[in-house]
Amino acid sequence: MQLAARIFGYLAAVFLAGMMLLTVADVVLRSFFSYPIRGMLELIELGLACTIFLALPAVFLRDEHIVVDVIDHLTRPSVVRVLDLFGAIVSLVVLAVMAWQMLPLARAMHEFGDVTPDLSIPKIYYWIPVLGGVIASALTTLVFIVRWRKGRA
Amino acid sequence: MSALLVGALGVAALLVVMFLRVPIGVALAAVGVCGYAAIDDWRRALIMIGSVPFELASAYGLSLVPLFILMGAIASRAGMSRELFDAANGIFSGFRGALTNATIGASAAFGAICGSSIATAATFSKVAIPEMRRHGYDAGLAAGSVAAAGCLGILIPPSVILAIYSIVAEESLPKLFAAALIPGFLLAALYVLIVVAIARLRPQWTPYVAPMTLAERLRSAVGLWKLALLFFLAVVGIYLGWFSPTEAAAVAAFAAAVIGFGSRKLTVRGFLDALLDTVYATAMLFFIIIGAFIFSRFIVLTQLPNELVRWVHAMGFSPLMIVLAVIVLFFLLGTFLEEVSTILITVPVILPLMVSLGYDAVWFGIFVTIMATIGLISPPVGLTVFVIQAQNPDIPVQAIYRGTVPFLVADFALVALLIAFPAMALWLPAVLRL
Repeated sequence: MQLAARIFGYLAAVFLAGMMLLTVADVVLRSFFSYPIRGMLELIELGLACTIFLALPAVFLRDEHIVVDVIDHLTRPSVVRVLDLFGAIVSLVVLAVMAWQMLPLARAMHEFGDVTPDLSIPKIYYWIPVLGGVIASALTTLVFIVRWRKGRA
Repeated sequence: MSALLVGALGVAALLVVMFLRVPIGVALAAVGVCGYAAIDDWRRALIMIGSVPFELASAYGLSLVPLFILMGAIASRAGMSRELFDAANGIFSGFRGALTNATIGASAAFGAICGSSIATAATFSKVAIPEMRRHGYDAGLAAGSVAAAGCLGILIPPSVILAIYSIVAEESLPKLFAAALIPGFLLAALYVLIVVAIARLRPQWTPYVAPMTLAERLRSAVGLWKLALLFFLAVVGIYLGWFSPTEAAAVAAFAAAVIGFGSRKLTVRGFLDALLDTVYATAMLFFIIIGAFIFSRFIVLTQLPNELVRWVHAMGFSPLMIVLAVIVLFFLLGTFLEEVSTILITVPVILPLMVSLGYDAVWFGIFVTIMATIGLISPPVGLTVFVIQAQNPDIPVQAIYRGTVPFLVADFALVALLIAFPAMALWLPAVLRL
């Protein structure tokens, strides 16, 4: 699981670097050679979707979410641990519902054969990282919940 | 149950769920979708939760956020904070309180590039606090100045927080950057004045340090060109019409990497780490943005913002009273929420009210940014203060709060000036014809 999340993270990093280099290349080509890269907007949007959603499982795995931790100063650590489980369960429900609701939308777009206007990139390519990231995040949270029980035993 | 009541309950539920340590993004999404279903129906609420992430994932306007964060991450890994501190020291050296003023100057510049007040404070608490304490400076002042100055930087463009505000408020980013420039530099100047005053009133807090020689000053000043170049590319480049904001962010991040590798301060490992730091930070941030968009769809459905406008006008409150109420609200929120969440949650509700009272949306962006940062350093729960305390466990939290108080005075002075003279923010965008 850890390895999978790390690989996803590295992939996201590659897409981020790609976004940066592509944009720089576009600026250079456009300014000095009046030759902009066609469909920049579409490529950047694809890069953004990959960057964000591929890195998402690692955020859930590493428990790097921003939480309001005022309560930590008010209660015992054991209570905080129970609340962590509660947070993970709510996260799992939200992620699972999100994935469940995304599937039909993605399928409809795939069957309809939507493509982007400039480069004719099938729209389903934009859905793959989003769906994959959300499903992987849900799985990560599930693993956290299972491990939580073991941790107490 | 009226939609309005559901809305009020939703806001209360959100606060409760967040206090129970549910990640902020998850809490926003969960409450948002349940509230939406309570007013409309489940079918539409579920379609919304399925479609919002995809809409945001492929929104070109948001692509500048990871690129700006990347620029800051690379600048951090390339050790630019240390060089900046030395350069700023070269400028102030010889005055009483020089090290504190150097901290403020360097944090302001670094925070501008880095974009996160907490990250800036964490960086400078390693660089500046040991240096100040080594020279016998008061620990509370040292820590307080790092906390306050870390928040200052996020106001100065290029600013990630203004980029996020521009998305929620649908305002032009170049306009917001231009509007932030004068208040940002004014606040930096006010901080420097505060330090000069402290050095006068409490000379024992800032012992005399032998000034640097001219040669040392010049040598340390050389380090400034890197940051100046990044600022030029990321901010001035937009106004010269060279780049769009996204392109400016990409070019500046690329330039930071080239400078880092060129000066041998950045290793391949460091560059990879910067990329990874950025994708994790971005994913976390975007999950909050997704949650906030789901939540704001619900809030719009409740008519809460419109009702608020109607109620305020019916009660005949003066605009100044509303502004004061908003200040109190942000002060309270800022005690437990970091700045981005504060802005994402409040702007959809409060912006329509402010606009109806005749305030400019660009002005409000600057106003909320300052207010959100004040919360980060004010008691009882300033997040930045805790970060610094975690790194310097021997400085008591109370001492850090005491150290931030003088800077809070400057913050509130700036807020007062901004309210009295909105032109402070709006003049520059108008002159630049943005």
